Amino acid sequence: MIGSIAWKNVWRNKKRSLVVIVAVTLGIIAGVLLIGIMEGWTKQRLHNAVNNEVSHIQIHNNEYIKNEEINLTVRNTDEIIRGLDSLREISGWVKRTKIIAMANTAWANTGVIIYGVDAEKEKRVTEIYKEIVPEGGRYLDNQSPGDILISDKTAELLKLKQYIVSDSTMEELRKEKVPGTVLIKLEALKDKRFRSPKDFREALQQEFNRKELDRYGLLITEKALDYRIRSKVQITISDKEGTPIQGIFRVCGIYKTTNSGFDQTTVFVKDKELANLYGGDEILTHEISILLNDIDDAGIVREKLSRISGDNSVMTWKELAPDAAMMNDFMILYYFIFIGIIMLALAFGIINTMLMAILERTKELGMLMAIGMNHKRIFKMIMLETIFLTVVGAVAGILSGWAITEALGKTGIHFSSWGEGFEAIGFAARVYPVVTPGFFVFTTIMVIATAIISSIWPARKALKLNPVEALRTE
Amino acid sequence: MKIIELKNVNKVYNSTEVKVHAVNDVTLDFAEAEFAAIVGPSGSGKTTLLNMIGGLDMPTSGEIIIDGTNLSKLKSSQLIDFRLNNIGFVFQSYNLVPVLTAKENVEFIMTLQKWPEKEKDERTLELLKAVGLGDRINSRPTKLSGGQQQRVAVARALASRPKFVLADEPTANLDSKAATTLLEIMERLNHESKITFIFSTHDPRVVKMAHRVITLEDGKVVSDVKLE
Repeated sequence: MIGSIAWKNVWRNKKRSLVVIVAVTLGIIAGVLLIGIMEGWTKQRLHNAVNNEVSHIQIHNNEYIKNEEINLTVRNTDEIIRGLDSLREISGWVKRTKIIAMANTAWANTGVIIYGVDAEKEKRVTEIYKEIVPEGGRYLDNQSPGDILISDKTAELLKLKQYIVSDSTMEELRKEKVPGTVLIKLEALKDKRFRSPKDFREALQQEFNRKELDRYGLLITEKALDYRIRSKVQITISDKEGTPIQGIFRVCGIYKTTNSGFDQTTVFVKDKELANLYGGDEILTHEISILLNDIDDAGIVREKLSRISGDNSVMTWKELAPDAAMMNDFMILYYFIFIGIIMLALAFGIINTMLMAILERTKELGMLMAIGMNHKRIFKMIMLETIFLTVVGAVAGILSGWAITEALGKTGIHFSSWGEGFEAIGFAARVYPVVTPGFFVFTTIMVIATAIISSIWPARKALKLNPVEALRTE
Repeated sequence: MKIIELKNVNKVYNSTEVKVHAVNDVTLDFAEAEFAAIVGPSGSGKTTLLNMIGGLDMPTSGEIIIDGTNLSKLKSSQLIDFRLNNIGFVFQSYNLVPVLTAKENVEFIMTLQKWPEKEKDERTLELLKAVGLGDRINSRPTKLSGGQQQRVAVARALASRPKFVLADEPTANLDSKAATTLLEIMERLNHESKITFIFSTHDPRVVKMAHRVITLEDGKVVSDVKLE
């Protein structure tokens, strides 16, 4: 019956209770969204780090870690490969040649790390082959000679990425139902070549107003983008003696991950063709990259591999991508920080509401004490009232937050203005919020804890009432 | 048989400048099934005396013994339980729980006493019928008149089967008809259940129906008359 009274008391002053409930609901929605975005970023970063960049485990010559010289190759490679083939936890592995190089085109140059890989084996370990951009050519092909796979960012630096508003661009925009007024303005830029996104953006800003740019800017940029596939790229590396050697490759495809820092420095060619360039008798292995069936086995497999790898260095993804590992490990801390701050702010509102309710019901509380309701029951009634008030808002907030996150998880949120900045530090410009069931359990516990803590002050205030004095109040 | 004994009871309120002797050396006792009125002008100490008999306030000196239990010897938590199980209260301004129906208000006290559901239901209906509200059991206090609310309060006071009921100016907020109905009900219940009723009042209608009238002036008992 005390629970029933507490529930009915919540609805005595509907407006006041609704204000608190709405505040809790909005607070929880904000929390769910914030955590959803953080979790989404973390998962995307972790996925990108593991599946595109460092895999689960890498083996290097331990000297190579400190000094990336061409001579410092992995020792006892054959023995290690035999070991890798015998371990059930391993899903795939690839040997790589990894050399610091200079890439040149007729228009620009940039420093890169060139990876020599077996195209088919690489596909079993990394997902770069899935990251080829639209109209961006194809992945490396063991049958096609002279291929080089570069990133969208490298293409930009080497001026292999250009923006041209051609007849076909206009046609595509027309199909996308871009209004005639916008297309007429776009005519002014027709057939002009822009070699950087910045130049193209500035040109668009001159032709269009802010509203038109917000609505159609991204679409026009996408459609006008043109990669100069099959362009020649000259790669310069130093051989074992330190003598510079040049080789020519042709761009077969353009990839783009969510980490522009990685993209900017990473190009792929076939290991045999790279070996031809440095003139070795054999393919040099600077890195063995290993993908496991289960990320949680990384520690165990590392131990096993350390035993057969001699004085090579065996590192897990946590050491190779410490930023992703830290984000993953600290997710529970983010939960505490975000939800904790929101709950702290809400607690003051809840306490204020409950104190007002106690003040208004002084006489009634005095009567209840007079007729024999003991302190334990008074405390329980006020605590339940606070919990009900908070939980109603929390349930509404969790359900709405979940629905919003689910919807945004499908479409993603594109941080267009800050996208470049996010990608520079390894976060996707388009984030797909994810909220795990664990977070909802965590939030529910935090909400109930907040309600219990918030009820202590009002309940103590009620318990301090003297029934005789309370009964005299009007 | 004496169920309430007051021995040389004093209550002094210490304000910063003057001491107020609200109850002055009162010695009284009440027997089972009494229907007694405490009368006197405002400030004569009626409510203070009732509060002390009800264990809501403690005397500065003297003893109050209820059915052999000295209230001064009880701890605060024991006193609350003692009130729950031994004393029924009726207040001047009804003081029902506004979110509960008439039935829920009456059975609330039995819930605190952990009565079995069936017995609780039976007793609630019996009491609400006895106060003439058998057809209003599901009405909330806001849907009842003042007289009806006070009758629910009387039913609530009797619900726990107390040794006595204390009513502080129960008719003060009622019109003449409602006051008469309430007093008739209280007198009948007193007669039928043998529960002692003690009420403070300055309402002559109440005084007229009382079987015993105790008059207080300046905290002292100036007369104690039994009427038949």
